[in-house]
Amino acid sequence: MIRRIRLVAGTVFTEAIRRREIYVIVIVTVALLVAASWIRFFNLAALHKFYHEIALKVMSIATAVTTVVLAARQLPREFERRTIYTIMAKPLARWEFLLGKWLGVVGAGLFCLALFMAVFAAGTLLAGSSIGWRIFLQFIYMQALSVALLAALAFLLSMLMDIDAAITTALLLYLLGSVLTNAMIIVHDFVGAAGRVLLVILNYVIPQPALFDMSAKVVHEWSPVPAWVLGLSTLYALMFIVPYLSFSYLLFRKRKL
Amino acid sequence: MSILDHVIDVKSLKITYGRGARATEAVRDISFTVSRGETVGFIGPNGAGKSSTIKTMMGFIFPEAGRVTIFGQPAGSVEARQRTGYLPEVSLYYPFMKAREVLELYGGLAGLDRAELKRRIQPLLERVGLAGKGEILLKNFSKGMQQRVGIAQAIISDPDLLVFDELSSGLDPVGRHDLRDVLLDLKARGKTIFFSSHELYEVESLCDRVVIVNRGCKVADENVSDLMARLQAEAGQGRPRSLEDYFMDLIRPRELAA
Repeated sequence: MIRRIRLVAGTVFTEAIRRREIYVIVIVTVALLVAASWIRFFNLAALHKFYHEIALKVMSIATAVTTVVLAARQLPREFERRTIYTIMAKPLARWEFLLGKWLGVVGAGLFCLALFMAVFAAGTLLAGSSIGWRIFLQFIYMQALSVALLAALAFLLSMLMDIDAAITTALLLYLLGSVLTNAMIIVHDFVGAAGRVLLVILNYVIPQPALFDMSAKVVHEWSPVPAWVLGLSTLYALMFIVPYLSFSYLLFRKRKL
Repeated sequence: MSILDHVIDVKSLKITYGRGARATEAVRDISFTVSRGETVGFIGPNGAGKSSTIKTMMGFIFPEAGRVTIFGQPAGSVEARQRTGYLPEVSLYYPFMKAREVLELYGGLAGLDRAELKRRIQPLLERVGLAGKGEILLKNFSKGMQQRVGIAQAIISDPDLLVFDELSSGLDPVGRHDLRDVLLDLKARGKTIFFSSHELYEVESLCDRVVIVNRGCKVADENVSDLMARLQAEAGQGRPRSLEDYFMDLIRPRELAA
């Protein structure tokens, strides 16, 4: 069972690596960030921390977009290429296929994240700045949770709509989720009872990637967060990942191929 | 022949696509069995229900009514697929993988370990006419070469049952010849083979039995040797002589009536 899941995941990862999209995204993003670093706003050298924070956020967003695009096209591509017929003709359960696909996307997303983080760490050290390594590793872990969650979300959406719509919807939810946390805090005291109920519903229905964003803490070299924070964040991610994947399986289980 | 000898058992199969006013009956009533070691051709005009029946046998679609079992297991179950090799009508594989990697993938999914895969892949590539092409990416393969990869992935685990949808689709005459050799070898080794085809000579030369379908219904189920002998005997009376004539006589009146 594990071998079959690993084989399916391997195809996703191999495609992501060989199609070179990830490298292009990383190179273009890094090139833009390097170009931006040459701009000296008001000659304020102290802005370098702000620049580092922006760089980390941009890298997170680029990883998120890569993950969403990879996840959303997995199943439609299988049908388009008709490879699903030969794959599912083998003794492979449909849930094994889905889980393998999701794990492959998560693996490719993490590969993309690893490239970004290597560039960021190297760039920071070359610029003579320091990194709090423990908080930096915690940042990477939280980003990995975000990748896993986004992959599950885009996967589910690709079951319900075509590739373009799935990518657009997943990215909209990602952006909405990114501002939702702060927006809820701001508007909470200004809305009525019904509004608050709506906020509570949104809080539980829409995943909030902002909760996984530790970029400011990395740049300002905060102390590492306690383990229970990472544990709760993991539970929070699983609270969305498990239902998304389960619902995807329910849709795929009896789907005509 | 006992029921345990039935490798494929299709009973009163009915398949409908769409719902309500848009519903289209692809298969209305098809029943047949295929016994262990038999080679059966499944023929009919386009839209007769061949591919839908085969897709149901593989568990890709679900029948509205009727029952399909493979080796006594429900069609599409992991147990049934464990013993089945399948080649679809259009064989396309991951273009970013090499031929060897594709066979490692499909063999691995079928349960072969690494040592066994290493032992099998090279001879298999030679057998399907792809010797020396194992390290080439599939995006550089022609349609015919991809079909050869398809044949290789279908037989890599040495399954007891082989199901081919449109047997020689996409193959040139050399490819067809090679495929015929592969099939004859599998047949000699007692494998059960079930294939759909538009090429009646393939059925005539390879099959023990032929099942003919038209408009979603079975219209004939004949032993090929008996049928050919009967057609030969009828030849003297000025009646049809070839399988093609027999096929046309079965299909045409129904087409005209429709």
